[in-house]
Amino acid sequence: MQTFRGYQRADGSVGIRNLIMIIAADECAEGIARAISEKTPGSVVVTNYNTCMYGGNEEMIGTMINAATNPNIAGALVINMGCGSIAPDLVAGPIRATGRPVETLTCIKESGTVSTIREGLKRIAAIVDHANATEMVDAPISKLFVGIKCGGSDTSSGIASNPSVGLAADKLIDMGASAVAGELLELLGCEHILKERAVTPEVFEKIEQLISDEEKRWHVEGTQVETMSVGNSIGGLTTIEEKSLGALAKTGSKPIQDILRINAKKLEKPEVPGMYLSETTMLCGGSAMHFAALGCQVILWTTGGAGFNNPIVPVIRVSGNSQLINEDIDIDATGIMRGEDSLENVSEEILKTLAGVINGEKTAIEDFGYAYCSLIQKDQRVERLLSIPAE
Amino acid sequence: MIKALRLNAADNVATLLEDAGKGETVLVISEQNESLGELELLQAIPFGNKVALRPMKPEDHLIKGGVAVGKAIKPVPQGQLAHVQNIRSLNLDIPEVMINEIIAQMGIEVD
Repeated sequence: MQTFRGYQRADGSVGIRNLIMIIAADECAEGIARAISEKTPGSVVVTNYNTCMYGGNEEMIGTMINAATNPNIAGALVINMGCGSIAPDLVAGPIRATGRPVETLTCIKESGTVSTIREGLKRIAAIVDHANATEMVDAPISKLFVGIKCGGSDTSSGIASNPSVGLAADKLIDMGASAVAGELLELLGCEHILKERAVTPEVFEKIEQLISDEEKRWHVEGTQVETMSVGNSIGGLTTIEEKSLGALAKTGSKPIQDILRINAKKLEKPEVPGMYLSETTMLCGGSAMHFAALGCQVILWTTGGAGFNNPIVPVIRVSGNSQLINEDIDIDATGIMRGEDSLENVSEEILKTLAGVINGEKTAIEDFGYAYCSLIQKDQRVERLLSIPAE
Repeated sequence: MIKALRLNAADNVATLLEDAGKGETVLVISEQNESLGELELLQAIPFGNKVALRPMKPEDHLIKGGVAVGKAIKPVPQGQLAHVQNIRSLNLDIPEVMINEIIAQMGIEVD
C-alpha cells in the first residue's frame, strides 16, 4: 500500500471520495439545504443546528469550515436565512481560500424559501460539474490521514479490536501515513506510557495539560458523571487504568508527534507524518466531524457491535464480539476472542479492507443510515468558570 | 478446553475467553495463539475476567498488556479471579459501595 487513487484538490490534499457539502449556516436554513441535497447525488448536509449567532460559537463554526475543506470535499454551497449573525461569507471565505468552488445564498435576499431552493439547485450544478472534472491521481500514502476511534466498547474491544487496529496503525505509520485518535478522558491513567511515546517533553506537557483540562470538564463536584460503570466491571474491567489502556491500544505503539487542539481560537493540523492525539470528542457523531475537520479521509472504528457511520469520512468498523457482530461490521475480529485468530492476521485484514476503501470500494454500510453530523463545541462560559483557558 | 489469553509476556494475569467454572482447568495461550500451559481455577471466572497466572502479594502490581493497571490488596493465589475483591486502582478507586454491588451481582467468592 504505497499509493492510493484519489481526487487531487487545489490545496495539495487528495480525497478518497468526491463530495459536495451543503452547509446550513444557521438552523433555519436546514430545510432548504435538505431540499437541495435530495436532488443532488453526492452531496452532504452539515447544519449548525443550535443557533444563528456567531459570538460564542466560533469553535463549532471552525469545525464546520474545516470539515468543508476535508480532502473528500470538492466544493460547497453555504446557505443562511439572513436575519442572524453568521454571514455566509464568514463560512465560505476560508473554504474558498483552499481553492474549492463555493457558492453562497441568503434566503431573505432570494425572495424566500422556494426561490432559494430553485437558485441553489442551479448554483450547485456548477459545483457538481467542477467535482466531476476533478483529476484523479496516484497519491503517495503520505497523503493519507486516518482517524481512530472506539465506541460501544466491551471486553472484546480491549483484547481484540483495539489492539488489532493499533497494530494496523503501527504498520500504516511505518508506510508513511498519518493517524489520529482523541477521547482524552480515556487517556486518564495512561500518562506514563504517553510520556514515553511523546516525541518531546513539550509534547508530553501539552498532552498532560489537555487530559487534565478534560478531567476538569467531566469531574465537576455535585454532578454525577460516570467514567466507569458496574457493567464495565462485570464485563471484566477492574480499574480505570485497565479501561484506559484498552482504549489506548487502538493507537498502537508509535511515537506521538503532537496533540492537536480543537478550540474557539484554532484547529491544529499535523505538520509531519506520524501518530497523533487530538481533542476529538469521545462522542461518536461529533468525533467523525472532528476527524473530518482535522482532514482525515477515513476512520477505523472499533466496537462491541454497533454500526456507526458518517457521510463525509467513510467508517471501517471492527468488532470482536461474536454475539453482536452483524452485517454492518467490516472486519471480524471474533476469532481473537475464541483464541483461533491472531492480532497479526486481523491487522492485515484491516489494512486490506482499508486499501480497498481508500481506492474507492464502499464500506459495509456506506450510503446507508448515516449518523447525524453533530457539531460539538465546548461552552466558553463553562470553560471560563472551570478556569480552562483556550490557547 | 476453555482458553485464557495472556496479552504480554510480562503479564501476571490472563483473560478468560469463555465462562469457566470453579475447579475447571483452562489452557493459557499467548497473543500469537501459542499454548503456555494449563491452570486450575480456584473459583468460577466469567468471560472477559482475569485469572492470576502467578501468586501476588499485597501491593504487587497487576500487569496486563505489559503495563501495571492495579495493585493487590490481599494475597492473590495462582488460579484466583483477579478483580475488584482483591485488586484496586493505582489512581482512582471505584467507590466501596459499587465494589460490593459488583461482587454481589457477579457472585464473587471473597476469602
